[in-house]
Amino acid sequence: MTRNFELGLNSFGEVATDDNGRELSDAETVRLLVDEARLAESVGLDRFSVGEHYREGHNDSASAVLLAAIATATERIRLGTSVTVLSTNDPVRLYHEYSTLDAVSNGRAEVILGRGSATESFPLFGYDLADYERLFEEKLDLFVRLQREQQVTWSGTVRSPLVEQRLHPLMRPGGIPTWIGVGGNPNSVLRAARYGLPLMLAIIGGRPQRFARHVELYERALEQEGRPVQPIGQHSLGLVADTDDEARETWWLYWRPVVEQIARERGFYAPTRERYEAEIDDGALFVGSPETVANKIATMARDLRLSRFDLKYDVMHLPRASRARTIELLGREVLPRVRELLATNPVHA
Amino acid sequence: MTQLVFGLDTFGDVPEDDDGALVSQSAAIRQVVEEAVLADELGVDAIALGEHHRPEFAISTPETVLAGIAARTSRIRLGSGVTVLSSDDPVRVFQRFATVDAISSGRAEVILGRGSFTESFPLFGYDLSDYDVLFDEKLQLFVQLLDEKPVTWSGTTRAALDNADVYPKTESGRLTTWVGVGGSPQSVVRTAHHGLPLMLAIIGGAPERFAPYIDLYRAAADKFGTVAHPVGMHSPGFIADTDEEAKELFYPRYKVIRDRIGALRGWPPLRREEFDADVEHGSMYVGSPDTVARRIARTVERLGVGRFDLIYTSGSLPMSARLKAVELYGTKVIPMVRDILAG
Repeated sequence: MTRNFELGLNSFGEVATDDNGRELSDAETVRLLVDEARLAESVGLDRFSVGEHYREGHNDSASAVLLAAIATATERIRLGTSVTVLSTNDPVRLYHEYSTLDAVSNGRAEVILGRGSATESFPLFGYDLADYERLFEEKLDLFVRLQREQQVTWSGTVRSPLVEQRLHPLMRPGGIPTWIGVGGNPNSVLRAARYGLPLMLAIIGGRPQRFARHVELYERALEQEGRPVQPIGQHSLGLVADTDDEARETWWLYWRPVVEQIARERGFYAPTRERYEAEIDDGALFVGSPETVANKIATMARDLRLSRFDLKYDVMHLPRASRARTIELLGREVLPRVRELLATNPVHA
Repeated sequence: MTQLVFGLDTFGDVPEDDDGALVSQSAAIRQVVEEAVLADELGVDAIALGEHHRPEFAISTPETVLAGIAARTSRIRLGSGVTVLSSDDPVRVFQRFATVDAISSGRAEVILGRGSFTESFPLFGYDLSDYDVLFDEKLQLFVQLLDEKPVTWSGTTRAALDNADVYPKTESGRLTTWVGVGGSPQSVVRTAHHGLPLMLAIIGGAPERFAPYIDLYRAAADKFGTVAHPVGMHSPGFIADTDEEAKELFYPRYKVIRDRIGALRGWPPLRREEFDADVEHGSMYVGSPDTVARRIARTVERLGVGRFDLIYTSGSLPMSARLKAVELYGTKVIPMVRDILAG
């Protein structure tokens, strides 16, 4: 596990600001993402993933299209999603998009399937959130079969049937790495195990160690299913700066209004500075100097048996200079330090 | 008059390598990216990729390939040819092309059409008998989305939208959008009604027979009070150093695919005389740079079009020959056509 601990970046295509505090346009933000992915590759990060959102200030509505641009701007970095909202997508269209991305990138495409915490895609594409489970289950079955078999006959309730269908362009044998993203639902964990797919834990608040139960459940379920051991990853938010103080002050400035907005929409408490500090110290925010963030990632890796960690580095209006600094420090300092820490102490003493 | 626009179109035909073996569909996609990069370097104005769902053609999501091209090019316009709107979702099509537009700093152009193939209907669960209503309604919604303001819409072909805002927004405020038409007068009128530019697919026979469509487009735009934009056209062809070489490379491979598709549509197998006649005065622009340039110039002049796109792949033409054709199109054919028309 420690040999190849992988560190990557996640973006939700959030609008950045420039050095003068000017908000970038949607299109400028899209091009910034391509530049940031290039930077991520140059500092040795393993992966660049984009989400899928349908709201103002987010520019990741066409994830595969964005990733295809990054594909020809880079050579080595793996390209994924975080997450693809499977329930409101058509698995056939997804197959087309990701087999094309895999072609354009010479085999670097990956995907994480999940729901995400935003639900805009349901009304936008004419789905009922009440059907979430059935949509996900059936579509996962189809997407996995399309990848594992070359010709598929399928019928279900969530899309039209397929009869001896072949799709083009053909994906590589066995398909692309397909992960399941979970936010805390044990049924989603069991589903990942049932399909023998790797597990991505989306931990966006609270003590991450509470997911240790999910990890145990997952590993036990894999064993019961007779499936081989699968990698486990974590996605969390954060920012790396030269010092802890700088990181804490910068993130607070941009994270606070976003959380206040979400708190209003979803009806939970607005953040206080105390809760914020606690979230950094013991919770799910990875905000700090390279040493602080590296230590925290290494701790999580041990506690949750991770082989992958993705940092979601963009938050609305965060200056692009801070975004770039996070990427540089994550690749140049955090990544080697995490690997070093895990090589010395792979598990807790 | 505005400068004539020259494009290259492909459906991502799976090519042969130097030993005559078919490459993978995935390699076929990377080949198209390389060809587009070369076309950009040589100053070709546009490339358009068609959407198909058949084993001969590797491109099923044009915009994903276009995005890959966008990041490696700086001038060439990036289009689809066509996006099969009837079996797609206008909201998703807008999002995908607005993203290509952002990556390319405004070079995206979506060409919406119904396509001449019908595989996408069963694949995405649509009924061919809804052919007209699907395109009609979805085009209407797409035109509304082009204003980049919150959209309220309801119809029979997708879920209703209530004040839905769609992202990303474009820098210009309007995504360039054409409608591709193969020969339906009703489609020509509809295009004029929406004030969109018209792209004619002329894939056989004398190009002159499309003159009435262009007249109809202009008359309809006049009647609706919309703008009649310069009309574009695309036709198949191939370019090599000599006429003989171009025909010998093209004909046997084109015949394979033409007969395979013809069998599905009830056409008799292609005969060499028909092909030669189409090369002589029809809609096959096959030959040396000089021959192809003269044929294009003649068509452009007769039809008064503002854009000509050459479908430069039809069948398993070898990769090296395709690159050579792109090179000859950019370095020789385009300047020659401009010279002829200026002269």
